Amino acid sequence: MGRINKDAPIGSEFAGKPKKMSWERLWTFSGGPFTAEGWPKKNLHTDTEFAKKLGLPTIGASATQYLGHLTELMIDLFGESWLWNGKFSDIKFIKLVAEGDTLTSKAKVVSKEKTGSEMEVRLNLSVENQHGDEVLIGFAKGFVPNA
Amino acid sequence: MAEKKSAYLLKVGEEFEPLEFIVTPELNQQYLYAEEDFHPRYIETTRNGPGFVHPGILFNMSNNTRSPSFFLPPGWGEIHAGEETEFLNPARVGKKIRVTWEVIDTYEKKGRPWHVLDILIVDEDGIQIMRRKMTNTFASLSLRNQGE
Repeated sequence: MGRINKDAPIGSEFAGKPKKMSWERLWTFSGGPFTAEGWPKKNLHTDTEFAKKLGLPTIGASATQYLGHLTELMIDLFGESWLWNGKFSDIKFIKLVAEGDTLTSKAKVVSKEKTGSEMEVRLNLSVENQHGDEVLIGFAKGFVPNA
Repeated sequence: MAEKKSAYLLKVGEEFEPLEFIVTPELNQQYLYAEEDFHPRYIETTRNGPGFVHPGILFNMSNNTRSPSFFLPPGWGEIHAGEETEFLNPARVGKKIRVTWEVIDTYEKKGRPWHVLDILIVDEDGIQIMRRKMTNTFASLSLRNQGE
């Protein structure tokens, strides 16, 4: 069971635990499998020179890394059923996440609709850095029992 | 050997070469550390089978930069700008995963090429795990200087 149920009021807000995007976690996520030759693979998430050649000030976290954070929050809210029927929509990555940033995933209930035996719950999503700047915005849709 | 085509030159209907990989317990635990998410559902075997694959792996390994045919010239990079995701089934540790990518839209905006990809992840039993629509743009310092 997740933290959201059919009675969750519109406007209810939820947040995941803050996560620091350390070098170690960026390399571990984006460097490829540990067993790969030459680990970590050089890319804009792991190598400062590579990032600078693209005009970036420093390495940036892969957006899929904090999509993973958001997924953790969704499973916390909807339960494991999210893995069978959850949806992200209109997700936009709007700001670079630099090494050392601390990210917090957030969700707000914006609508609910009965669909047979279930209640479809739509959430407004954001991921914010330690300055309160949004780095990701978008929506999610999940289902909870209507009984 | 055929010359690799730069990713941003692929047209609608063209595909990247599929990727197959096995999620070992060790690979799963690598991503649990990266995601700071050590929930038992990803670690423990139950009567339903091995633990779940962390969705972070599925997202990361289904970026088209993971395709064996992905290529960009030196000094170029791909930037993930937008995302739609449908979760269809959890993947299980130990299963072989197959990822396919098809270009479904291309356009130019602010002097940059943009691509939209349809991405499907299935396991070795044919179970659909995740479907993504990924919007990417491409960057290079030379492209940036042209725009200034």
